[in-house]
Amino acid sequence: MRTRPDSVSATILPARAGIGLRAPHYRELLDTLPDIGWLEVHSENYFGGGRPLWFLEQLRAHYPVSLHGVGMSLGATTHLDPDHLSRLKALIERIEPGLVSEHLSWGAVEGRHLNDLLPLPYTEEALAHVCSRIMQVQDFLGRRILIENISSYLRWKHDAIPEWEFVAEVARRTGCGLLLDVNNIYVSAVNHGFDPRAYLAALPAHRVEEIHLAGFDEGAGCLIDTHGKRVADPVWQLYREALVRLDPRPTLIEWDTDIPALSVLLDEAAMAQCILEEEHALAA
Amino acid sequence: MPSLREAQAAFARGLLDASDTAVLAHLAGAHGMDADAGLAVYRNSTFSNYRGALREAYPVIQRLVGEEYFDQAADDFIRFTPSTFGDVNLYGAGFGDFLASYPGARELVYLPDVARLEWAVHLAFQDIDCEPPDFARLADVPPERLAALRFSLHPSVRLLTSPWPVLAIWRANQPACDDNEAVDLGSGGNRLLVIRRGHDVDLELVSAAEFAALAALANKASLGDALEVAHMADPDFDFGAFLQRHAAVGTLADFTLE
Repeated sequence: MRTRPDSVSATILPARAGIGLRAPHYRELLDTLPDIGWLEVHSENYFGGGRPLWFLEQLRAHYPVSLHGVGMSLGATTHLDPDHLSRLKALIERIEPGLVSEHLSWGAVEGRHLNDLLPLPYTEEALAHVCSRIMQVQDFLGRRILIENISSYLRWKHDAIPEWEFVAEVARRTGCGLLLDVNNIYVSAVNHGFDPRAYLAALPAHRVEEIHLAGFDEGAGCLIDTHGKRVADPVWQLYREALVRLDPRPTLIEWDTDIPALSVLLDEAAMAQCILEEEHALAA
Repeated sequence: MPSLREAQAAFARGLLDASDTAVLAHLAGAHGMDADAGLAVYRNSTFSNYRGALREAYPVIQRLVGEEYFDQAADDFIRFTPSTFGDVNLYGAGFGDFLASYPGARELVYLPDVARLEWAVHLAFQDIDCEPPDFARLADVPPERLAALRFSLHPSVRLLTSPWPVLAIWRANQPACDDNEAVDLGSGGNRLLVIRRGHDVDLELVSAAEFAALAALANKASLGDALEVAHMADPDFDFGAFLQRHAAVGTLADFTLE
């Protein structure tokens, strides 16, 4: 157990393992303050007040925090929702997160949200569009955001740019950082039959500021990114390879369905921490 | 090649309705799968996402009608009810109205009102916090101007009426309650104040006059007008005690004098 600091914890995320903060673990985390590097939350779950925000603020006094959005729908052609943006900005001012991230995906059409992380066609048109939206968001928030690569079960036949080049170009054009989801790369590589190492090699290493790890399920004919299991062995292996190229980065264990006991999450985080330290020692 | 907007619109139609296959011509499935099966993976995850949001918001309805029937009603609701927020926690408004005309639910006459109550509770948990007002400032208001004050209510406040005993139904169907004693549907209707206080949401039965006064304040009526409607409901209503109590328990959020 770590000792309680007197003031709010540092803002910058350390290059250590962190875990996703989920409601079933609020009380236990605050009571035990386990030795983990940082916490990440889904931004939308803290747009209101009451119990969730109270726990987040209490925990923020002990851990750096990252805000991870799932509802901005950056790749959609509808208007960015000003209310959603304002709520995110208010939360940023209140929590002082180390990082703010969103997904490289779309999830809304005229008249309705779809509340999912859907794959963009990797075309020049989509690239220009999503870059302008990312810049609008960064301007509004007054800070850089990170963009996360998604997993997918379909691709568009008119894709003209490999996904990894698309991701790298988004970072280059907008100045945003990248949130590298190693599990998503693995899932999509298996589903679409590309080489995950080529994906890693194409990304600008200095832009990658955070890494996500999670578990997937095997569906009929494809891998499904459920965030409901331990990280799979080939994903740990790919993570090691990513670290060789990237140096240590804040690394998150994400778990969103069938949420296990806190001890299981901490166990996964300890595994990530161990790999971070090994790779760091090798690099030193 | 479809434009980005056209491609996404076609994807959305196929996602929500399996019989709309136009988008499949533009999609390639994962290795070992056709595009149709890939789209079905997204369709499952979309419906299960919304079903999860409805289960979270409407646990009492789920307990009243059973899981299987609830899921069927939820899927039909999802087909007809677009999500209007990027935050899925806000999906599910209007499920009560939907149930009012849903086959098989129509006989459970109280169901729509129980759903409306659950939605109010669900939103109350998520509303923003507000700082307690500085009531000491009231001392500066000249007595002759008091009637012109306008109070706002805590952001989580919702007022509901029902001809059914929805509070008793709600309480009898909480997870901690395994007392399955039947609620007497003839025991009369409820006027309810729903409000978050601290981390908990309170459900309070209020009198006709109290309800009228709170509803007036919620509609930005002046104190004088709220007093008048409360006295129409009950000439003996103690308006001073009402104000003091709701100031003390956080129902009154702030006030302005125009």
